[in-house]
Amino acid sequence: MAATKPDRDTVLDATEFLYREARALDERRFRDWLDYLSDDVRYEVPLRVTREGQAEWEVSPTSRIFDDDKQTLTLRVERLETDFAWAEQPPSRTRHYVANVVVDPGERDDELRVSSNCLIYRSRGDSIEPNLYSAARTDTIRRVDGRLLLARRYAVLDQSVINGHNLSILL
Amino acid sequence: MATDSAGTRTEAGLEGIRDGIAQGRFPAHVFNDREIFDTEQRRVFSKAWCFLAHESEIPNRGDYVTRYIADNNLIVARAESGEIHASLNMCRHRGNMMCKSEMGNASHFRCSYHGWVYKNSGELVGVPYMKEGYGGRIDKRDWGLVKVRTDTYAGLVFGTLDPDAPTLEEYLGGFQFYLDLYLKQGSSGSEVHGPPDHWVTETDWKIAAENFSGDGYHTPVAHQFGFNLGYFASSGSTHSQGWAASIPGKGHGIGLGHTPGFPPFAGFPEELAEEMRSSLSPEQVEVFSQTRTAVGTVFPNLSFLMQPFSIVPGEAGVRFVTMRLYHPIGPGRTEMYSWCLVPKDASDEYKQEAYRAYTLAFAQAGTFEQDDLENWARVTRSAGSTMARNIEFPYVMGMDSTPDPDFPGPGHVVTPYVNDSNFRNLWSRWSEYMTGRV
Ligand code: FES
Ligand SMILES: [Fe+2]
Repeated sequence: MAATKPDRDTVLDATEFLYREARALDERRFRDWLDYLSDDVRYEVPLRVTREGQAEWEVSPTSRIFDDDKQTLTLRVERLETDFAWAEQPPSRTRHYVANVVVDPGERDDELRVSSNCLIYRSRGDSIEPNLYSAARTDTIRRVDGRLLLARRYAVLDQSVINGHNLSILL
Repeated sequence: MATDSAGTRTEAGLEGIRDGIAQGRFPAHVFNDREIFDTEQRRVFSKAWCFLAHESEIPNRGDYVTRYIADNNLIVARAESGEIHASLNMCRHRGNMMCKSEMGNASHFRCSYHGWVYKNSGELVGVPYMKEGYGGRIDKRDWGLVKVRTDTYAGLVFGTLDPDAPTLEEYLGGFQFYLDLYLKQGSSGSEVHGPPDHWVTETDWKIAAENFSGDGYHTPVAHQFGFNLGYFASSGSTHSQGWAASIPGKGHGIGLGHTPGFPPFAGFPEELAEEMRSSLSPEQVEVFSQTRTAVGTVFPNLSFLMQPFSIVPGEAGVRFVTMRLYHPIGPGRTEMYSWCLVPKDASDEYKQEAYRAYTLAFAQAGTFEQDDLENWARVTRSAGSTMARNIEFPYVMGMDSTPDPDFPGPGHVVTPYVNDSNFRNLWSRWSEYMTGRV
């Protein structure tokens, strides 16, 4: 495929899309966040394992921390809307820092392949020790009726042992 | 015992704790206490049979994983002979770590410091400058990696640091009857789906071990969202039904939740249910066919949970099994390992479905897991306070209940499922170890 390099406007649009999507998460507007996702969205966070440099894989091909579609992401949001999502009661304060955005042509004409680094600061309660999650994200962003939507997120965490008693936040 | 004295004050305290359990009391501070932690390392984890790995994690010759017993990092490897060996991950020359990865494949390990080479079974086979340097003062047979005694049951590899420990079979003491529900799904048994979820939490291992030894009491509240949104096969009112089974004197326990009207083996694929009907004993079939939820702990820190789960409210969905290892790394601090076990014989489609259900419900981002960990971290924090040193918890639920005479499974079995009897048995075993009786 001789896809052309996305023009400056496209790059800016995609970058701004990521910023707005991250802001919806940080402001806990989870319904708005669902609206940034395509109906066929796939949301995956694979497991990372510490292996030798020559090993076949370091990111598990079979194990996932998250393996969600729109239905299960909606379930997660519905859960947060009940009074019994104790893990987020009171809610975590999160800040997604999205950087190193690189926009490439996607597999389809209406899609972009966007990679970014994401550092998530998470603070809970009165703890002075935040959880920090650093991830490399590879997203597929699709243009649908003049809007951008997230069609795929593949976020690989940089730690093999996660420090945090749970992952009740979204990456 | 000279090297293992816990101090007179503590010895008396530990005896007191032991007496308290018999009366249904257990002190809060044990769930976050430096002295308790240190004593546990020496008296519980250095003596018990501790879970290391599932055989299917190391299916091929040379495959290895690194795991812990207490604070000892071990290499668990399948040697060229096909046998499984556990060795201390420490070079005998100056102590360098041999394997720095969590998993891999190697027929030999070569130390990165001075180059001693060991077979994956632990034998020393290569010493640089053997003639020039050592001039016959080193016999390779004396300097292999330090071996740890291992034994297996239905795919589970256990190790013990105690040469005098009883056999694994004796240690499990009949709990195998219940473990088969997780380990013998279908006639070829179970396998891990992939490497375990692995995370560190501000939680004492004992809270997790207790919860998984059959805490049906927390479910309607801690996991209320599941009832609220309709993701549970049981309701708040029927949830207490079922049995609590424990092996007296061994510490192992399991909660068997039962939902009236739930079809036999619901959530298993039909072929698999058929296989289980013929490969398990009639008593096991009778118990397992009517089990909705099975949540159990092998003393001290290996747990299992099996449950049907559906993302469509009201449907039986698919059964998944999670296996847990709670590795204590400090007072009130635990490294969690969580695997998904799938039936070896099942279709890839079913294995995938079961794994997705596990991920959504009980992996580290799982909707049920999240809330358990939140609660456990708060319990741990509370238990570390100065006032908590003088506070006890009631373990009196079902204190007067008599064993169900008709139940076909072994052990001390009481109904309903919501009952403290498994916990009394767990902590009484723990206190036997802690007071040096085991
Ligand atoms: S420490 Fe391993 S060879 Fe010296
Ligand atoms: Fe729970």
